Amino acid sequence: MFSIEKFQQNHDLFIVIALIFGILIFATLLFSIWGMLRPEANLGELKARTRSWWVMATIFVSATVFNPVISFVAFAFLSFAALRELIPISKNVRESDRRTLVWCYLSVPVQYYIAYQGWYGAFLIFIPVFMFLWIPFMLVVNGDTKDISRSMGVLPTQLMFCVFGISHLAYLLSLPEIEGFQAGGRGLLLFLVFITEMNDVFQFTWGKLFGKFKIIPKVSPNKTWEGFIGGVLSTTIVGYFLYFLTPLTPLQAMGVSFIVAVTGFIGDVVVSAIKRDVGVKDTGAAIPGHGGILDRIDSLATTAPVFFHIVYFLAY
Amino acid sequence: MRRIFLSFIYCFLMRTFLKLIVGVNYRNKEVLKKTKQFIIVANHNSHVDAMALMSAIPSAKIKHVHPVAAGDYFGKSPFKAFVTRLFVNALLIPRSRPVEGEGPDPVQMMVAMLDKGESLILFPEGSRGEPGKMQKFKKGIAFLLEKHPEIPFVPAYMQGMGKILPKGDAVLVPFNSYVIFGEPEFCISTDPEKIVMQVENSILSLQPNKVS
Repeated sequence: MFSIEKFQQNHDLFIVIALIFGILIFATLLFSIWGMLRPEANLGELKARTRSWWVMATIFVSATVFNPVISFVAFAFLSFAALRELIPISKNVRESDRRTLVWCYLSVPVQYYIAYQGWYGAFLIFIPVFMFLWIPFMLVVNGDTKDISRSMGVLPTQLMFCVFGISHLAYLLSLPEIEGFQAGGRGLLLFLVFITEMNDVFQFTWGKLFGKFKIIPKVSPNKTWEGFIGGVLSTTIVGYFLYFLTPLTPLQAMGVSFIVAVTGFIGDVVVSAIKRDVGVKDTGAAIPGHGGILDRIDSLATTAPVFFHIVYFLAY
Repeated sequence: MRRIFLSFIYCFLMRTFLKLIVGVNYRNKEVLKKTKQFIIVANHNSHVDAMALMSAIPSAKIKHVHPVAAGDYFGKSPFKAFVTRLFVNALLIPRSRPVEGEGPDPVQMMVAMLDKGESLILFPEGSRGEPGKMQKFKKGIAFLLEKHPEIPFVPAYMQGMGKILPKGDAVLVPFNSYVIFGEPEFCISTDPEKIVMQVENSILSLQPNKVS
C-alpha cells in the first residue's frame, strides 16, 4: 500500500514534481522581487493565487505519491465540494428539490467506489445512464411538478460536471499497467492536471500581456483570442516535452495536449456562463484568490473525461 | 471535565462536520477570542443555527457560553431538557408564562447568567422563521442590554441555514452557507425600542449581497 519506495525509483514522476515546485518557487520569488522593485504594482491577486497553488500542489502531490486510497478520497471530496458549491448558485434548483439533492450527493461515494474497484463499464454508465433516470424519478416521487423539467435538466448536468468529469482523474489510477510504461496512472494524472492548470495560467498570462480581441465578451470579458491562441500553443509545446509521463508517442502527446487546452477553455467559459447567469463572480470562497473550488477545477471537469478516453483509445 | 466534553463535541466533531460535510463558512469569528463576555445575537432559521454558533466559540470559553432555548419546546420532558442542557449547554427559558407574573421570569434567568459572568447566544426572533426572512425582534434582548450595558453584543448573520435543515424537515442536506460575525457593540440607548433597532440593524448590515 505504501508506495514511497517505488516512487523513489520512478525518476519520471520525481522530475515533474520537482518541476511543479520549481515553478512555484520561481513564481513566489518573481512576485516578491517584482513587488519590492515596484511597490505600486497591484500584485495582491497574483500573490494570493500563488499561495493557493502552494497549498493545492502540496495536497495534490502528497495524495498522489502516498496511498492511492487517499487520492480517491481526496478526489471524491473535491467532487462533493464542487457539487455543494454549484447547487446554491443555481436558481433552477427549487426549494422542494432538497431530498433529491441527497441522492445527488450520495452518487459521489458510489461513483468513486466504482472507480476504485476499476469496474470500467459501471464507471461509464453510473452517472450518465443510471443517475440520469434515477434523479428525475426521485423528483417525480417528491410530487412537486411546477418547473420540474428545469430541475430534471439541471441536476444531472451538475452531476456530469462535478462527479462524472472529475472522477476520471481518479480512474486514471485504476488503469491496468502497461509493460514498459513506468509512470503508470500516476504519471497520466500528473500529466493531465499539470497540462490543464498550466493551460489556465498560460491563457491568463497571454491574455494579460497581449489580449486585445475578445472572444465572447458577453460571457467572459477577460477572454481574448491572443490569450486563447497563446495558451493553446504554449500548452501544446509543454505537452510535447512531458510525453514521457504518458504511454503515448511525443507527437500523440502533443495532439492530446492541444485537445486538452481547447477543452479546458470550454470548461472555463461554460462555468463562467453559469456564474454570469446567477450574477456571482466567484462560485465560493474556499481557496483565497481563486474564488471557489469550482473555479479551479472547472477546466478539469471537461479535460479529464476527454483526455482519459483519448488516451484509453490510443494506448489501452 | 465539562469543558473537555463540550470542546470535543463542538470545537472538534461539530466544527469538522459543519465545515467539511455541510459546507458552513465562517467569517470574522476571531472577534469571539478578543471579547471576554458577550451576548451573541443572530437571526434564526434552523436547528443548525445554535450548533453553528457553538462551533465558532473558542474552546477555552465554550463552557461559559449558553444558547438560550425555548423551555416549552426543548424542555417538554425532563429527559429532553436534560439532553439539551448536557449537549448544547443551553439555558432553557419559558417563552410565555401562562399567567402574567407567575413562574420564573425569563429575563431574570438570563440576567442571572450574565451576573455570573457567563455569555449567552440569543435569537431575538424568538422562533425559527421562514428561510431568508427575518421576523420582528422580541424585546428581551433590550432588557438584558439595559441591565448590563457593560457587556457588548456580537451580531451574527447566518445565511443558508434554513436550506440545510428547514423548519419541519428532518433530512439534513449539505449547502454552502455562511456565518458572519460583526464587531462587538455596546448599546447606545436606554430605550428598549432603540436598543432592539440597533441590534436589528447591526445584524442586517452583515448581510452579504453576493449569494442569495
